[in-house]
Amino acid sequence: MKEVFIGRENLLKLIGRWAKDHRVYVPVTFDIMNHPETPDYELVKEEVPASLELHGACPAQTPKSFLFYSREVVSKYPNSNPEAEVEAPPTVLVGPRACDLEGIKKFDKVYWSTKHFTEEYDDPFYIEKRENTTIVSVDCTAAKETCFCTIVGGKPYVDADFDLNISPVENGYILSVGSEKGEKLMAGSDDLTSEVTGGHHDEQKRIRGSVTEAIERQNAEFKVDVPYDKHELGSDEDAWAHVTANCVGCGACNRACPTCTCFLLWDQKADGGYERTRNWDTCLSIGYARTGGGGNSRANLPQRLENRIRCKMEYSRDRYKLVTCTGCGRCIDVCMGRIDMREAIKHVVTEMAKA
Amino acid sequence: MKNLYRPIESVIEDIKKETHNITTYRFRPKEPISFKAGQFVELTVPGVGEAPFTPSSNPAVTETMEITIMRVGCVTEALEKMKVGDTVGIRGPYGNAYNLEDFDDKNIVIVGGGVGLAPLRSLILALFENVEKYKRISIRYGARTPMDIVYADALPEWEKYPNVDVHLTIDEPYPGWQGTVGVVTVLLEDLPLLTTANVDDLPFTVENAVACVCGPPIMLKFVNMALLEKGFDPNQIYHSMERNMSCGLGKCGHCMMGEYYICKDGAVMTAAQVAKFEDPF
Repeated sequence: MKEVFIGRENLLKLIGRWAKDHRVYVPVTFDIMNHPETPDYELVKEEVPASLELHGACPAQTPKSFLFYSREVVSKYPNSNPEAEVEAPPTVLVGPRACDLEGIKKFDKVYWSTKHFTEEYDDPFYIEKRENTTIVSVDCTAAKETCFCTIVGGKPYVDADFDLNISPVENGYILSVGSEKGEKLMAGSDDLTSEVTGGHHDEQKRIRGSVTEAIERQNAEFKVDVPYDKHELGSDEDAWAHVTANCVGCGACNRACPTCTCFLLWDQKADGGYERTRNWDTCLSIGYARTGGGGNSRANLPQRLENRIRCKMEYSRDRYKLVTCTGCGRCIDVCMGRIDMREAIKHVVTEMAKA
Repeated sequence: MKNLYRPIESVIEDIKKETHNITTYRFRPKEPISFKAGQFVELTVPGVGEAPFTPSSNPAVTETMEITIMRVGCVTEALEKMKVGDTVGIRGPYGNAYNLEDFDDKNIVIVGGGVGLAPLRSLILALFENVEKYKRISIRYGARTPMDIVYADALPEWEKYPNVDVHLTIDEPYPGWQGTVGVVTVLLEDLPLLTTANVDDLPFTVENAVACVCGPPIMLKFVNMALLEKGFDPNQIYHSMERNMSCGLGKCGHCMMGEYYICKDGAVMTAAQVAKFEDPF
């Protein structure tokens, strides 16, 4: 694996070079009243923003914002073109963390069957964006309170299945190339980089170790006896009612989640005909499972939250061989009812054990 | 790459009123759409939306497709206002199909409730293509009132095959109705004896039978119980599951039931497949 060291100034220059022939999104800090500490993505225009922030934990948005738009026109009516018309300019996304790359794995399984050995349909709108996007992942240098990747089999850094990875170390960054796409981004950048020293490696190792430890420590109280990939959460009504007590069904968790892949098709008037849009949807809404005659297999909110959590821990595992809670903690961050995924799972598992 | 979300324009060629709220439409898609019995399509009423329907016509006919539709929601209401010559969009087919090879030499019990007979009609017509391959086809159909019976003129025709019998029931007594009264499970009471005039010489055994069921969820639940009681194995019972199938591709999640996407792994599911769910119907 090719590795180089790069200082901050030179990294900004390198990103600037990428921006010449790519759309480049980087995490920057915003001065927003409530969340001054959570960086979010910004499109690089003339200059790479000085507020580029590669330290800390995961950015506010997940990569799905760039690979699977929140709203997208997927067809027109009438439409005689059997081919999908997809706009997917070359893109570089700097900033996803290990939990986000895990999240992309679910999208790959659902939307890019032929490459990822599933038996699903290939989705042109996802595949073209995915192919034209290079992901520059970043090691976490700190954990937020809600991070819990280590209890769902993850870790706060990337060491496999990446394009290009950034490990922040003192006075700069280690850049590791993990794929052909990553290799291409690094072409012609020798003037900006230097060799990685043993000292850099020691520091990378130290940071990775200490963040991992911090996440393990802050989640000690949420440990359950059953391994995370063996959960059978069951349908104990009382247990799920307890978990749902503060839920208002707003669906913020769905939108913040790196593995919520579901959508709504919505037709609307356009250009003398109609267009079909594909929109992120939330399984917590009452109409989600409602059928034509008014039947509803998940008419009650506890059933819907149960479905969401079991989808992450059980259903995806059974269908795609992938537990799809990545432990990013965003659902906890955004929940106005302060529902904690970790507490929820622990509560249900504990109640199931009693039964 | 093929666009999975594109509806194919289809012209309404014929409209036939079945009951006060059920209508059979014949569509001619501008690009051929062929399907197998059990599969469904997504039908777009332009500007209103899309909803899933199972064709009710013979799958062997590929240029046109009939769909029998009950008025229940906004898409079906808008469709009811359309006229011959108007166009709608059709996508598909989606989902699994009945594996008719498994039905060879078997007794086939077909249980329909209300508009649930519509998808089964496509199965029935597919079976009729090789009717001699099956030991016996016994159709059991329940409607709310005599006025809610669909395909009223076709039912006597179906019974003309020597190994086919058709039984009807209506939910409650109705002036002038001489036939059976009660919900559709009353028509399953004679299983496995199945004594019917024209097919007495074809003894019916549960071991060698399959049941195909379609109707409202509550009916599926009780028919499932009745069939199991009569000795059917859960693997011999095929249900048409009712869920909100929106994309038809196993992606959008609306029809999810556990790890299954009903639009892709169903809509035809055996009782064995759904047995692990507390209340699958």
